[in-house]
Order: sequence, then structure tokens, then C-alpha cells
Amino acid sequence: MTGVCGCCGALRPRYKRLVDNIFPEDPEDGLVKANMEKLTFYALSAPEKLDRIGAYLSERLSRDVARHRYGYVCIAMEALDQLLMACHCQSINLFVESFLKMVRKLLESDKPSLQILGTNSFVKFANIEEDTPSYHRSYDFFVSRFSEMCHSSYEDPDIRTKIRMAGIKGLQGVVRKTVNDELQANIWDPQHMDKIVPSLLFNLQSGVRTESRSPSPLQASEKEKESPVELTERCFRELLGRAAYGNIKNAVTPVLMHLDNHSLWEGKTFAVRCFKIIMYSIQSQHSHLVIQQLLGHLDANSKNSATVRAGIVEVLLEAAAIAASGSVGPTVLEVFNTLLRQLRLSVDYELTGSYDGNIGTKIIKAHEERQLQEAVIRTIGSFANTLPTYQRSEVMLFIMGKIPVPGIHPALPSAGSGPEGTRMIQIMLLKSLVQVTAGFQTTNMLTALPNSFLEPLLSFSLTEDPEIRLLVLQILLSLIDRHDNMLKFTNISIISDISVLKLKVDKCSRQDNLFMKKHGQQLYRHIYLGCKEQSSGRQHYESLFALLGLLSVELANEEVVVDLIRLALALQDQALSTDEPLPVYNRCAVHALAAAYLNLICQLTTVPAFCQHIHEVIEVRQKESPYLLPEDVFVDNPKPPSSLEKVEGDVLFLQSKITEVLGGSGYNTDRLATPYVPQYTDEDRLSKRKSIGETISLQVEVESRNSPEKEERTPAEEITFETLKNAIVDSVGMEEQERERRRQVVEKFQKAPFEEIAAHCGARATLLQSKLNQIFEITIRPPPSPSGTISSGYGQSQSRSIPIYEMKFPDLCVY
Amino acid sequence: MYFACDLCIPSSYKSGEYPVFLFSMSMEDYDYLFKIVLIGNAGVGKTCLVRRFTQGLFPPGQGATIGVDFMIKTVEIKGQKVKLQIWDTAGQERFRSITQSYYRSANALILTYDITCEDSFRCLPEWLREIEQYANNQVVTILVGNKIDLAEKREVLRQRAEDFAESQSMLYLETSAKESDNVERLFLDLACELIQEAKQNKLDNNDTAPMPGEGKTISYLSCCNLN
Repeated sequence: MTGVCGCCGALRPRYKRLVDNIFPEDPEDGLVKANMEKLTFYALSAPEKLDRIGAYLSERLSRDVARHRYGYVCIAMEALDQLLMACHCQSINLFVESFLKMVRKLLESDKPSLQILGTNSFVKFANIEEDTPSYHRSYDFFVSRFSEMCHSSYEDPDIRTKIRMAGIKGLQGVVRKTVNDELQANIWDPQHMDKIVPSLLFNLQSGVRTESRSPSPLQASEKEKESPVELTERCFRELLGRAAYGNIKNAVTPVLMHLDNHSLWEGKTFAVRCFKIIMYSIQSQHSHLVIQQLLGHLDANSKNSATVRAGIVEVLLEAAAIAASGSVGPTVLEVFNTLLRQLRLSVDYELTGSYDGNIGTKIIKAHEERQLQEAVIRTIGSFANTLPTYQRSEVMLFIMGKIPVPGIHPALPSAGSGPEGTRMIQIMLLKSLVQVTAGFQTTNMLTALPNSFLEPLLSFSLTEDPEIRLLVLQILLSLIDRHDNMLKFTNISIISDISVLKLKVDKCSRQDNLFMKKHGQQLYRHIYLGCKEQSSGRQHYESLFALLGLLSVELANEEVVVDLIRLALALQDQALSTDEPLPVYNRCAVHALAAAYLNLICQLTTVPAFCQHIHEVIEVRQKESPYLLPEDVFVDNPKPPSSLEKVEGDVLFLQSKITEVLGGSGYNTDRLATPYVPQYTDEDRLSKRKSIGETISLQVEVESRNSPEKEERTPAEEITFETLKNAIVDSVGMEEQERERRRQVVEKFQKAPFEEIAAHCGARATLLQSKLNQIFEITIRPPPSPSGTISSGYGQSQSRSIPIYEMKFPDLCVY
Repeated sequence: MYFACDLCIPSSYKSGEYPVFLFSMSMEDYDYLFKIVLIGNAGVGKTCLVRRFTQGLFPPGQGATIGVDFMIKTVEIKGQKVKLQIWDTAGQERFRSITQSYYRSANALILTYDITCEDSFRCLPEWLREIEQYANNQVVTILVGNKIDLAEKREVLRQRAEDFAESQSMLYLETSAKESDNVERLFLDLACELIQEAKQNKLDNNDTAPMPGEGKTISYLSCCNLN
């Protein structure tokens, strides 16, 4: 060897001699280490020669590949790797070109061993951090080839796995190499992402498939070795973790496409797994982008089968939970709007039985649509859970505004499906509200539950539809419950000692008192009327009991307690009254409800005499008429008597007695002595007709006008029953007027052109303006002009000194 | 030349802002490099065509391709070495998204159908739409009717296919991977066409962006490599 080199050494450049010397005579011997050191030293001391060394090595390698001398190929690669590692200098740049050319050469070969050899070298190279940018490198081929290797279908499964893993590692290398280098072809471009992402997903998915089939003994024996699935997942996570704001879309789009093409939404598990990886890997501030894309994809699949849509929704559900606070992003209502739109679409599909698209006649499976609807509703809840309280009440209002009320939205998309469609949408949206309100806790009930939310909600509680009423009750329960007391009231029964319930009671805040002052009467009325509905069943009474119980522990001050006791007694009267055509079961139920509640409240008040009276009555009932107690009524197969007669005497709670015992403890006896009579308002009547022909804003207006009257009425109650009756009769007359006035207002707003309404409001605004001007004129003197001492030539000063109050309200304020 | 190809493909570079530094090592083993992508319905014989051409064998019972497959073959045309990088794609619908991503960089597309399968012929307009949508607009497309060894089962008449190809201004060829009929010719014709195309482009825009397969025009290292 030395002899050969010696003879032609003079004719060959030194670097070529050094390169030749690293190759042994027999490739089995491996790299000649001593000579390799010489080469490395030479390369380090004369870096300008590096590119030529690289070129020459590369030439040798190409020749060796062509001549199938694979031993030498390996040696050449090893030498290249070592040189690459040794030379952390700037001249590496040119050397890299020949290096990459050789890797490419190896990758072009159809020998798996060479492909893997090339990949390994590339990965080593990818881990070097270069400090000089490189303009003239292109990784297109590598991306294409590595992606192809990820899909290898080599016959031998072992080799196939190796090739696929090499492909994954290669892709990882390309990503590492290019992701932070602005000069490189942008790896995030769709042309690359569309190759990389499906290749990774394919391996992720195929791995899952084989794993589930059989825990192969081969894998068990090499446990320490990473499986392709794990490797893929790691690579995928790394890729996503590096994605910046602008790149998320390009990375996620191929995922959606892949799931579409391989119909993986239906199976759900893989799709969910993918998005779990995505959500956990990307930077958390970007997670809402993913959610947005999923929502967009859901919209794009509106006409697809229910299972696909349900799959996407399921993924959304999981993703939203992971992203938690960041899942909704800046467009809160848009998220909910999309979900609600999907809900409505699904209801339409279910009712019409077909997609109105041009796909032809696809048979809609009602149960699949149902599942989808459930999933959407759960997703709405999941999103809402991530929101802070103020946004949640915003969302509640938003959903409330979407609930169709016949007469307001005559042009509903479900116009063809008629009242049934409206009802279904109402139910779906109320169910969504149940989800949104679940776990909702607010310190300030007044701001969290504005009139514009509570009014329409309560109006739904008076419809004839028992399902809707029940939903409204559930919503109310979760809104009022702030100390997780709700579950303790789920069973309606006579509890001899309520300390077993371990109720959590906080002192009522000022806001709570205000809230009850404002809305208490409404709530009582709805409880009262709710009991009167013939269609009310066990669940309704149980919820009503829970509502009463929650009011007593969450929002009760002395006044409220008195009102609640009056309400309970009024319920008893209601059950006794022969005017109402109430079935026997309902009468028993109302009796039982009143008994259970009085038992609860008497223990809450801790007035011994009160407790005693209640106990006595309950004991009598237990002996004589157990059918008036919850233990007999609220069971799976209640056996009410065929008719209710002789419900009198000791089995009844006596108003006079209660007033007497509570009066001794300082409660307002005057008020207690007055039987509770629900106050009817227009709104009740309207809802009785199942239509609320007004917009929310108008309701607010009416409410604000109503409220002073209410306060006037309250003192009237303190007098006698007679005067109260008169007052009601009177108020009916007033109500007539009120209704007429309202009708006019509604008519005006419905019929008048927009400009007229605007002009009307504008006129009011000018009125306000002039009034304000007057006031300001009187109270404030215009501030001295700041430029008063400066010469009048400074003209602008005049306009600058105009006081703020003189500025006109911009016209836009009118709208 | 490798770089030449890589650089000329992506549409995003068409703005002309991409820095162009081309390498041409003196010992490069080819004069031209072209990327050829095979597309067409599943089971029309794309993989068999490629393997017949690159390896000279006809694998009976060839399974369905997964995703993409890659082969390379260097041919000599009029004394010039032409390296053909052949990307063989899966015909199955579910791999459509990954296969589409390979059209983009292709210099030539071989659109294949099975002459014994009317369906595969009827899908051609759909494939053309895909090409329109995803491929480079300078791509050379050739229509290939495969499996002419099964002449007795023929469902698509030659004339019909020729007319169709003409109406879409594509080349047309009928082949048999099994009997090795026209397979060599298919790839060699395509290579000639691509060389023509490359030369044409070189004349048309001598010093602008490099065109497919054309790498030697701009090479600043060729002079240094003489030492």
C-alpha cells in the first residue's frame, strides 16, 4: 500500500493520498484509524481543502456503490461522519455539499442496508448545529425519500420496520435541520408538510393496528428497543412543539386530510389520540388555532354522515378539555355559534330525514344524529367549563338568545319541520344550557344572571312541555347552587336530622339579598305554578324540592324564609283546592313536597316550637295517611289512593300555628299570616300560550316599568285578604292598559321602518343632550381657556377649550 | 443538477426571489435528472411497469402499494446520461393526500389505466383534474393503457383512448408490463421528450430560473474542480 502511494504519490495531491490511505486493502478490516487521524488533522489545519476532500471521498463512494463494494461504502461514510464531527468550523459548509450528495447516493440505492446507512449519517449531521447559514441546500429530495421510506412495503417485516424507522428518523433530522433556519426552504410549506405529516400518521396508525392484533413476541424480546410507534410519536411531538403561530395551520391540515382519507373519524380513538398528541405538544398559546381548525373542519363536513361529524365533535371535546383555558381563544362566541349551528343542522337532518345537499338520498340514521347531538352538547359544556365566570354568563345569554320562540323567528331554518322542530331545538339548546351552567359558581348573582337571561328562562318554565320544564329547573338549580349542595337534595324525603346532609351554608351577601328582592317573587311564582302542572312527574317534584332547598340554604335571609314558608303553605292549599283539576297523584305529591320542605326549613330555622308542630303533623300523616309523605309518593311504583277525601285536621300544617310559633322568635308575623298568592304578570299569560311575542330587550323594558308597581303592591299585602283581592282586581285593569301599551310598542318596533325607530331614539338622545346642556350650564362654568394669555393669533385655542360636555354625542350612539 | 431540479419545482419559488446557487461536480454521474410520477387507479399495473423497467422483472401477485414507492434508473440517450427518479404512487383513495404531495415536484406524469377495465378509463378526467390542481403546469403527461397482453378482455378501444389523449394533448402509449411490451419505449420516449423540453426552456430563458433537468448551465464550481 505504502509502495503504491509512494510510486504515484508525487503525482497526486496530498489530500487524495490521505484519503486513499484511510481505506484498508480488505474492507473487512474497517477504517484505518491511524490514517484517519492524519486526515482529520490535515483537514483541521487546512480547512480550505475540506471541500476537495469531501468531493474526492464522494467520488470514491459513488464508484464503490456502483461496483457493489459495500464494505468500502461503509468506510467512506464513517470517514465522512468523523470529519463532519471534527470540523466545527465555517468551512464545513462546502464540505456538507459533498456529504449530502453521498447520503443522497445511498438513499437512491435499493439496498435497505445502504438506505439505513445513509439515513444514520444524515441524522448525525442533523444534530450538528451549524452557525453559518447555507443558501444552496435543498432538502426536497430528503423529505420525499424519507416520507417514502416511512411507507416501505419491503417483504421482510423486520427490514420493513427498520426502513420505516429510518424514514421517521430521517424526517426528524430534516425538521431539526431546517426548522430554525430561515434561509432553508420552509419546512412548514404545505408541499413538505403534506408529505411529512401523513407519513408520521401512517406509522402511528399502523403501529396501533399491529399492537392491538398481537403483542408480538419479537417486540417483547427487544423491549429496550424503541418501537416505531413510540419513535413516530416522539418525532410528531417534536415537530409540533416547534411549530410557530403561523405554521400550525399547515401542520394540522394534513392531519385532518389524513383522517378524512383513511376514514378515521368514525373510529374516533385514533383521531382522538392524534389530537391529544397535538394538543399536548404544541405551545399552549396556539391551542385555540387547532380548535378553530377543527371547528372549521366540522363545518366543512356539515353534509357528511353523522358518524363522521360525531367523530370530529368527540375530538373537539377532548381537545377542548386539554387546552383548558386556552381552548376557546379570542373568538368565544364564534366557537359556540359553530357548535350551536351544528346542533341545529343535526336536528334539521333528523327531522327532514335527508341532507338537503346534492349528494343524493343518503339515509339518515336518527340514532346517529341523536348521538351527535349529545356529543355536541357535551362539547359545549366542555368548552364552557374552560371559561371564566363572566364569559360563561355571556355564553349563557348567547345561547338563550338562540332559543327559538315562535313568533319571533318566523323564518327559522327548520320552518318545514314545524312546531316539533322548534321544540327539539328548544330542548337541545336548553340541554346545552344545562351543560354550560353545570358547575357555574358566581359570587354576584345579580350580574351573572341579568334579567335578559332570567326572564326568558323562567318563561320556559311555564310551558306545557314537561321535558322543557325539567330542563329549566335543572338550569336554575345549578345556577343557584354555589356550595355543591345540590346533590344533597336529590332525594326528597323526611329527614329527622338534617345535620346528616352536611349542608354548606354561607352567610348571604348583600348582592344575594338584592337578587332575591328583585327576582324572589318570580322564582316563588314559578315554583308555585310548576307544582300545578298536571304533567309534572316525580322528577319535577324532586327538582322543585331541590330548588326550594337550595333557595333556603343559598339565598335565604329572614324575609326569604318567611316567603318560602308562605309558599309551602300555599302549595298545601293548592293541593287541597277543588278548583284545580289536579290528579290525585299530583295532589299527594304536592302535599309530600310541602311536608318535606317544611321539615327542612323548620330545622334550618332551629325554632323548637316550629319543629315540633311540623313533627306532629308528619307523625299523624305517617299513621293515618302515609300517601301524603314523600316516602310513599316518590317511589318507583307509587300507590296513591283512588281519591283524596278528608284531608283535614291534624294532617295539615296550620298557618295560624306556624305564625304563632315563629312570631315568638321575632319573625314578621304580619307577613306570615298573609297567605301567599302568586302574582300574575303578562309574561305568564304569554308563556301560557307558549309564545313570547317580544324580544328580550322589550321584556327588560316592561320589567323595569313593572317593578315600581310591585313595590306598591307589597304594602297592600300587609293589610287584609280583602284588600289584597281588590288590589289584584285593580291590577288586572292596569294590566289591560299595560298590555295595550305594550302591544303598541311591539307593533311599532315590528312595523315601523328602521329609520323611524332610529329617528325616534335620536330625538330622545337630543332631548337628553339639551337637558344635559341645561344642567351643565347651571352647574359648571366653562374652564378658563388655557391660551387666555396668549395672543388671539393662536386661533386653535378657541376650539380646544370647548368643554367636554358640549361635545355632541355621535350619531352612532343612537343605534 | 440535483439542486437544479429541486430548485425549479416548487411554485413558491416562482417569484424569482429564491437564491440560485447551483452545483455541478465534475464527477457527477448524470447529465439530466428527471422526476417521474406514476398515477392512476388502484390495480392498473403502475408498480409492475416500474419494476419491469427498473429491475426487468414482472412480480406476479404484486401487492397494493402503500403510500409511495421509489426507484431510480439511469439511461443513456444519445450519449447523455439521464437519471430517472421514479415515484410510484398508491392508487387507493385513502393515500390520495400523500400522493398528491408528490405531483407537485414531478417533471413528468405517467397516467396509467387498465385497458381491460372500463372503470379505470372513466376515472381519467378525475385524474386530470387532480393533475390540474396539484401538478406543476409545465409537467409532461403521458397516457398509458396497460395490460395489452390481456387483449381478449379489452374493454377500452385503442382509438377511443387515442382520441381522448389527443383531446387532452397528451402522449399515448399502450404497454404490457408482463410481456415487457413498450415499457422501455415508454420511459425512453418520456426521457427524450423531457430533454427536448429542458433544452427548449434553456433557449427560452437562458439566464432565468433553471428548468427541469437542466443543471449544467449555471455552475460556478466546474472551473475550480479542474485542479
